[in-house]
Amino acid sequence: LNIKKKERKDDGGRRPAVGERKAQRTRVVISNTNALNVPDIELMTAEGVVDENNVGKVMALPVTTVDSLRAVGAFKNTQGWKFFRTPSTLIRKETVEMARKLDEAAKGEAIRQVLIGEKKSGKSVLLLQALAHAFMRDWVVINYREARELTMGFTDYAPIPNTDPTRYSQPALTATLLTSIVQANRDILSKLTTALTHNPPVTLPQGTSLLRLAELATNDPDIALPVFHALWSELTYKPPADAPPASQRPPVLLAVDALAHFMRPSAYLSADAQTIHAHDLDLIQHFSSCLSGASALPNGGAVIAAMNNSDVPSAKSLNFALARAEAIQKAKKAEGEAVDVPTWNPYEELDERVFGCFDPAVVEVVRLGGVSKEEARGVMDYWIKSGMCRKEMRSKMVNELWTLSGRGVIGELER
Amino acid sequence: MANPRIFRSFTAIALPIRPQTARCASQRLAPVSIQCRRSTRASSSNSGEKRPKGPDTDSLPHVSEEAAATAKITGDKGPDIQQGTPVQEVIKGKKELHDKLPKVMQDEKSSTEPPSGTRSFSTVARRQEDLQTLPSTPSSLPPTLIPSSSLPLSTGVKFGTPTLPLPPQTHLKHRDDPIVQQVTTLLMRHGKLSVAQHNMSFILSHLRTAPPPKLNPARPLVAGHPPPHQLPLDPVMYLTLAIDSIGPLVRIRSQKGAAGGGQALQIPVPLRQRQRRRQAVMWILAAAEKRAGKGGTKNMFAQKVADEVVAVVEGRSSVWERRNQLHRIAVSNRSNVGYKKQPGRR
Repeated sequence: LNIKKKERKDDGGRRPAVGERKAQRTRVVISNTNALNVPDIELMTAEGVVDENNVGKVMALPVTTVDSLRAVGAFKNTQGWKFFRTPSTLIRKETVEMARKLDEAAKGEAIRQVLIGEKKSGKSVLLLQALAHAFMRDWVVINYREARELTMGFTDYAPIPNTDPTRYSQPALTATLLTSIVQANRDILSKLTTALTHNPPVTLPQGTSLLRLAELATNDPDIALPVFHALWSELTYKPPADAPPASQRPPVLLAVDALAHFMRPSAYLSADAQTIHAHDLDLIQHFSSCLSGASALPNGGAVIAAMNNSDVPSAKSLNFALARAEAIQKAKKAEGEAVDVPTWNPYEELDERVFGCFDPAVVEVVRLGGVSKEEARGVMDYWIKSGMCRKEMRSKMVNELWTLSGRGVIGELER
Repeated sequence: MANPRIFRSFTAIALPIRPQTARCASQRLAPVSIQCRRSTRASSSNSGEKRPKGPDTDSLPHVSEEAAATAKITGDKGPDIQQGTPVQEVIKGKKELHDKLPKVMQDEKSSTEPPSGTRSFSTVARRQEDLQTLPSTPSSLPPTLIPSSSLPLSTGVKFGTPTLPLPPQTHLKHRDDPIVQQVTTLLMRHGKLSVAQHNMSFILSHLRTAPPPKLNPARPLVAGHPPPHQLPLDPVMYLTLAIDSIGPLVRIRSQKGAAGGGQALQIPVPLRQRQRRRQAVMWILAAAEKRAGKGGTKNMFAQKVADEVVAVVEGRSSVWERRNQLHRIAVSNRSNVGYKKQPGRR
């Protein structure tokens, strides 16, 4: 038995600097200059996404939208963006439906959706398409980048005074969120001006641009949370009908991927060394109240959350709430047909705060399945044209692969 | 029994059996009797004129050639010079030559006298070729039981039957390209195949996204490869090109003590394709391990291997030197190629 400590062999390379590994690990590449340029690809437009005739087409995202999407962290490095010349997405049936609902929601009645579905069925990409559509329609888009980072307990946090039950702020993460809001919505925010007076530390004269307001805290995490709330109250301010254009408010899209992290106890500890529930963190509380409908969006807009099926913590109450909401909505649509509504195991504790977020009448559960054969054909055609797939496309091959991929689960098709 | 020495000297002038041996076969001769004497001069007669003639090179023509020349004059059909003449035909009817024949032929001649019996059929073994061309006898089976191409095979099958043989890589466990499969298993450590597969996919996607290689004319790759800007679009070909370009043709086997004085004899041994590829991959992996890291990431090893593959194609890798050195040793020891261990020697 050799228990002597082994000497570590030095491979001669320099040690990575602080944060370098993470930067390399999470680096998102969305272009590949080796890939062939697809000449006949159409550019995605807000009108094109709503058009039913475009189902099955792959459309390239416009450059300005790509910049905004990057800023809000919509591209993931686990998705295959790095293999193609320009980031492009398949317009599927669900995309058109989603875009139409968003256009409806812009008129005043906000929608609240949770995207569920199998692994690799395209939930995150559908969320990205929703974000892209919102950007193209000049909405204000707030995307909570990585849900995991908000609850994993790696950043600073502090109890907010005079709150009961105690809520916690996350200054650094709030500042990061504000930074991404500023970067992604610079144009639209610079056109809008403040209409309300705010309490210190937010001291700005009325009529300052919202961009200026948001930028207050991008470098100052200490005032990030008050600034965020001030910005939100400005965005949800309902102006009188005869207000000047600068006081009008666009719809807001609030989105998050990997919702499960928000719907369970977080990794943070309270002063009594008790686990802090994710809903006690102020940023997450803000999102969940918007999702549940407790906070209204008077100017229209949407709250969309996507579930994530790989590398997720267990959130039983969330899964139950979603399954129940889906069953009830299905029963409502079917009208008369018997639908099994799941019941909670009485010997387990139900997380009431999580369960309360998903009122079937308010939150719509959208299940994503596989793509149709026509859509599969469209996306495979795109792969062949960009030189990714060196095969001749025949309908037999499309059918075979469509079947092999579990009736068109897009991520499996991609393999 | 025939004298083996005489037999050997006789077969030295023998030709292989001709397909058309009707005359010989009709005489029902044993294999020895159908040997023919090659008219060696027939083929060299044209080119012989160009050569400078020595004092004693102008000898008499061959009997068959002489007979052919005579037949040409007289207008008859002489012997076919291209075919050669059986010895038996030459000595036929020449009793005085009988004593000068080798003993086997003398014995043969006495035994090949026409038999006195009245057997009406031949007992000569039928030749194999005739057997093969025999028409098959009609079967007594009903036609539905005999597989035939005219009958549709897919009766009772909803989606038709697959065309056999199945194309390669249709088997689930062998669906990858053979070289990808080989490299994956060579990448594997501690039996962790899925980790190796993950690394392999990292390598291939790196090759796909890295800038196209700049080839070095001093390090020629396998002939007929596509231009470098097309390589990233086919990462498997990229990888194959790198591996096949540096795969050594031989390995050096050291035979202990065979060079005399206790020294080892270095013998080049040719390698099969799979062996060549294996050696190339092992070299690449060894070179990749020596590369300096670029700040640790999860896929650092795969990153190093991918960089080494690109370095091989660009001619920067140290593996080229290794290969050339091996080939130099092999060439300088090429005289040892046929070496066989002597029995009884250590």
